[in-house]
Amino acid sequence: MENRTKISISHVSKSFEDKKQVRHQVLDDINIEVKENEFLVLLGAGKSGKSVLLDIITGLDTDYEGKVEFSDGSRSTKDIGIVFQKYALFPWKTVMENVEMNQKFRGMGKQERKEKAEKYLKLVGLSGFENHYPNQISGGMKQRVAIARAFAGESDIMVMDEPFGALDAQTRYQMEEELLKIWEEAKRTVIFVTNNIEEAVYLGDRILLLGGSPSTIAKEYVPDMERPRKYTHPDFLELRNRIAGDFELVL
Amino acid sequence: MAEKGKKMIYYILPVLSIGILVVLWGVLCVQKPDIMPTPAAVIKKIADITVNPISNATLPVHILVSLGRVLSAFAAACVFGIVLGILMGWYPTFHDIAWPVFEIIRPIPPIAWIPLIILWCGIGETSKVIIVFIGAVVPIVLNTYSGIRQVDPMLFKAAKSVGAGDRATMFEVVLPASLPSIVAGMKTSLSTGWMCVLAAEMVVARQGVGFLIVRGMDSGDSALILSGMVVIGVVSALITALLNRAEVKLCPWRTEQR
Amino acid sequence: MKSGKKKLIRKILLGCVGVGIFLGVWQLLMSMGVISERTMSTPGQVLETFIYKLRSADPDGATLQEHFLSSFKLAMIGFITAMVIGIPMGLVMGYFKAARLLLNPMFEVIRPIPPIAWIPIVILFLGIGMPAKVFIVFVAAFVPCVINSYTGVKLTNPVYINVAKTMGAGHFRIFTKICIPSAIPMVFTGIRLSLGASWSTLVAAEMLASTNGLGYMIQMGRTIIRPDIIVVGMLVIGCTGALLSFVLGRIERHIAPWRK
Repeated sequence: MENRTKISISHVSKSFEDKKQVRHQVLDDINIEVKENEFLVLLGAGKSGKSVLLDIITGLDTDYEGKVEFSDGSRSTKDIGIVFQKYALFPWKTVMENVEMNQKFRGMGKQERKEKAEKYLKLVGLSGFENHYPNQISGGMKQRVAIARAFAGESDIMVMDEPFGALDAQTRYQMEEELLKIWEEAKRTVIFVTNNIEEAVYLGDRILLLGGSPSTIAKEYVPDMERPRKYTHPDFLELRNRIAGDFELVL
Repeated sequence: MAEKGKKMIYYILPVLSIGILVVLWGVLCVQKPDIMPTPAAVIKKIADITVNPISNATLPVHILVSLGRVLSAFAAACVFGIVLGILMGWYPTFHDIAWPVFEIIRPIPPIAWIPLIILWCGIGETSKVIIVFIGAVVPIVLNTYSGIRQVDPMLFKAAKSVGAGDRATMFEVVLPASLPSIVAGMKTSLSTGWMCVLAAEMVVARQGVGFLIVRGMDSGDSALILSGMVVIGVVSALITALLNRAEVKLCPWRTEQR
Repeated sequence: MKSGKKKLIRKILLGCVGVGIFLGVWQLLMSMGVISERTMSTPGQVLETFIYKLRSADPDGATLQEHFLSSFKLAMIGFITAMVIGIPMGLVMGYFKAARLLLNPMFEVIRPIPPIAWIPIVILFLGIGMPAKVFIVFVAAFVPCVINSYTGVKLTNPVYINVAKTMGAGHFRIFTKICIPSAIPMVFTGIRLSLGASWSTLVAAEMLASTNGLGYMIQMGRTIIRPDIIVVGMLVIGCTGALLSFVLGRIERHIAPWRK
């Protein structure tokens, strides 16, 4: 088992001022050690500051207190693969062009980046849809495009912000399964944010429960189960219920 | 049975609608035969001015003159308006400085500029083009600006995450994202421009469709006025149809939604 | 971290800087002689003429207030008539298919003709007096009122209509309680467009054929080469337009408070 720390988040707090000049504290003294090649799940209800924390980790938000350090030196936003909430695809670009974006700005040649994009589109099962616009495909497919785009950056850190939140249950299960498959094929460090307890238990090597106001890390769980995990297995249900109980408490 | 009757009525109503319009015209002809020309007289007039020039120009030439003025002003308005809109949308300081001035000038209808512009530039082509420009530039500035302000913040994050720099963000994200709004602005701009050219030509011109209807008014030739109105209406409708086509072509991702 | 208050002060200051630069450049161009005194007046002269015109009918036959009231009255009569007829017509066209089929073709024929193109024929029929101008303003204001009310009703979310149906509402109830309220934002957009169109069309009509009103005043300013009078007229026309649309915004917020 790898145990090296990949990202170290120490004493991170965040507050902002609203239009009426009232200060709100969102995050209070967050400390997380993300291990290399770990699948870490951040679980929390809506408005618990999960997205804010992700923006801080990925460098999209630089206005905070505390420290975020990477074991291999500093990183800018583009060195981390990000899958955004509600896809954030560029609607005027085709599926192919969306995935290609990531290499385009890294100065990769046309042929090379086309091959890369095709490879990742195939990985997420979207071969044949290269020339569709995002508005022409279903939500599940858009999500795959977003994942392919993030993977195409070939970063060893992936950050996913409620990627499956907008999908129906059936598609969601399927996507979770596929995500794990992809991750197991090519291991990398994943930070996965969700508000769905079952999703957290199904995916996570480790689950951190975010809660309170301002938010802190309330609990940590390490599911001791073989993959692929079964939603109906007694251990699964037991952990699910335990987390659900804590979830109520931190709200 | 009732359903069938209903369907019949639905076929008859549009015909009836146009019928009413024609009858109204007829009533006016009978009531004021000295002013109101018959539809036949208008058609004859259109045919007449298509071959016989008025003020050294046949009808097609008058149309082309008006369109030429609109298009050259529109082209200038696009370039200037988009640049100004981008500057205001992208640089908050520039916006804060320029916006109040823009807000003072904006409510003045372009038509109200006509006297001043004529005083400045005389009654030649330049003043007409400038008047159309003033009318055409405002919607483009407004729509470019609001288009840029309304770009989904999520897309900025996404651009950053795929490593786009400032320039790339501008050209690959901000501009395409605001394109639908800019194109909508261009649509408004062109129809405003068409209205302004009429106004300018009506006030002072020797050629153009606006000149035609005023010539009709001055000489009491109502058939000429109505011919002019028909032509103006047809050209306006054509411009609108053309622009709707162009919109589909320019923003394919918008219209192919399911 | 910048606080909101500081931002606001900065905004106001920059705005003043902008207006200052505008007036400064204008004045500078004049005093350097780049623009001739014959074709343009300095900001100071404009202000003087404005105050002077409040008291004097010289040189165009009426004081500024008289011109303003004459224009304002005509614009309001035409505009309000157009609203009273156009909005109900648009709403009914949006809901009842028969009304739509009967009125829409007529409307589509007339719609592409810009309102100012009506000026010559209307003047030929009605002369250059008040009825002609009211009619022209009416035509200008009528079209946007109808189109937007019509579209507003057509865009009613069908879910609301179905909810009303399950509660047993009939056609009339659905029309008055669901379609009309949900069309209000669009109706207001139409009213705003109407207001702008009627105001600027009136100015055009007054410029072409009139003996009073703001449009007449600026046209006279051109004939007798008095740029100061033109600019005063333009500013009054602009301010009135801005003020009217501000008042309209207030009314809208009052009638449709659910819209921010």
